[in-house]
Amino acid sequence: MPLSRVLVANRGEIALRIVRAAKSLGVETVLAASVADRESLAAREADRVVTLGPAPARASYLDANLVVHAAKATGCDALHPGYGFLSERAALARLCEDHGIAFVGPASASIEAVGDKLAARRLAKSAGVPMTPGSAKLASAQEAVAFASEVGFPVVTKASAGGGGRGMVVARDAKSLAAGFERASTEAKEAFGDGTLYLERYVERARHVEVQVLGLGDGRVLHFGERDCSMQRRYQKMIEEAPAAAMPNATRARLHKAAVELLSSIRYRNAGTVEFLYDVERDDFYFMEVNARIQVEHPVSEMTSGVDLVKLQLEVAGGVLPPVTQRDIVPHGHAIEARILAEDPRRGFLPCPGRVTRWRPPHGEGVRIDTAIEEGTLVPPYYDSMIAKLIVHAPDRPHAVRRLRDALDAFEIEGVATNIELLRAVAAHPDFFENRLDTRWLETVFLPHYGQQEG
Amino acid sequence: MSDIKPRDIEALLETFEASDWSEMKLKIDGLEMFVSKSPDGRPASGPGDCATPAAPLVASSASTPALSPAAVGVTRAGAPPDHWITVRAPNLGTFYRSPKPGAPPYVKIGQHVDSDDEVCLIEVMKLFTTVLAGASGVVRQVLVEDAELVEFDQALFLLEPAA
Repeated sequence: MPLSRVLVANRGEIALRIVRAAKSLGVETVLAASVADRESLAAREADRVVTLGPAPARASYLDANLVVHAAKATGCDALHPGYGFLSERAALARLCEDHGIAFVGPASASIEAVGDKLAARRLAKSAGVPMTPGSAKLASAQEAVAFASEVGFPVVTKASAGGGGRGMVVARDAKSLAAGFERASTEAKEAFGDGTLYLERYVERARHVEVQVLGLGDGRVLHFGERDCSMQRRYQKMIEEAPAAAMPNATRARLHKAAVELLSSIRYRNAGTVEFLYDVERDDFYFMEVNARIQVEHPVSEMTSGVDLVKLQLEVAGGVLPPVTQRDIVPHGHAIEARILAEDPRRGFLPCPGRVTRWRPPHGEGVRIDTAIEEGTLVPPYYDSMIAKLIVHAPDRPHAVRRLRDALDAFEIEGVATNIELLRAVAAHPDFFENRLDTRWLETVFLPHYGQQEG
Repeated sequence: MSDIKPRDIEALLETFEASDWSEMKLKIDGLEMFVSKSPDGRPASGPGDCATPAAPLVASSASTPALSPAAVGVTRAGAPPDHWITVRAPNLGTFYRSPKPGAPPYVKIGQHVDSDDEVCLIEVMKLFTTVLAGASGVVRQVLVEDAELVEFDQALFLLEPAA
């Protein structure tokens, strides 16, 4: 049964994106917003707005009970969690299941199956997906050292309960591993409430590649090609592209197959991303994790594959099988997304909330902006600092890079500090144009030089 | 703004009854209301008052037996006095005036409440939380229907502070 009314439990550009996608399908929208977002663009475009709670996310966007209560009380038959906040909490999906609300995402059991990283690794292993040599749970630094001596250094510690760089320490010898283990465990405990660590062999020159999928819930899983998200700072993505132009076709085909098989094995439903580490020198990829949600960077896959993933999400949640088959999904051209952040790179990437006094986004052929900002919008201090996504599409990567440069040059924002200058410098860099990148390029090659240049 | 429900009129009459006012006159959109505690009360036909055709008169004895004999013509409150205190919802949820179905409400119009008196329940996914008045005063208005969704910070009651 197609959905009739969806509660949008998120904010910013993704809330607006979901509201618009729902509207275009004739689905009514209720935006569940915090006090800080009651006047947002998404709030204005939604059919109804309910105020969940005060500005801090803990008392509003992160309270699953409030969100589901709001959905029920406003007669919604579906709930879209967006990304971040509650989007990957199995508890939210389960609450929806228990109350007859279609969760626009995977089944709670699937979120659990892929949410814990060690469980996900077991799943990947049983589906025959390649993995870096990695350990099981480690009880102590001694165990870690013993394991590392066996597979060889360097190694990296990882938190079993989460990602985002927390709990990750790269060690090149036994001494630094022993020293880093406790620190990583404490960090993981603080971030995720669980200090459990495991160890993986560390790939020195790696690219972050990921496959966008959409599971139909019956074992069929469509994929929409891969993305390369190697441009990262502190494990936070800054620029994402589709396709991963540096990858040979044969490897690409194996990558897609691995992602599809992994999620087919659990009859995965709705949008998801399977992340891999791509070892450039060995031309091999290893499973990293599954993100059981729509991701920030989904637009690059939309631009190349010509589909609207958020609409497909709503259709699948409503039990409507999308009118596409794998054969229809033929990626074309190259897309690049740059995340525009209200952060000041000159002051250690300090978040800079405030009022946007001038907002002149670029436009033109092959340029797309996903944002909820307008001139006069207040960027509140409580949430993520991303204020827009600039996406460009062109027939090939060199043209896409040029289009990105032009679009960044034309983008005018005043009132809040942003990372646009930095993005312009990255887009102008020969390494970026030549695609000589890996996950540490930004931090080890670009930023030190950028910092010096800026004095 | 203008969908006046019978409940609203009831609430006004309760407010009026509990007050020491002798007359109340209100005009909102198409509705005009005049209430007086004087037995021979009549809408004062002052200038400017007669333009709107009289709204159907409601005999107070019929709809609100408690009200002392009075001529009731009339409406719903405009802005409440500035010094009245608004009791707001501490969180989103379903509003309940009574501790359980069929039980009398925590508070009635005209009732005095102290700061730590319970005034209603708010339920979130079967978890009930009592809301305290937070100030002392006389309940003058109940702004929400029983079992309605209330949002964070929504106004629930108006209290007239104790003099």
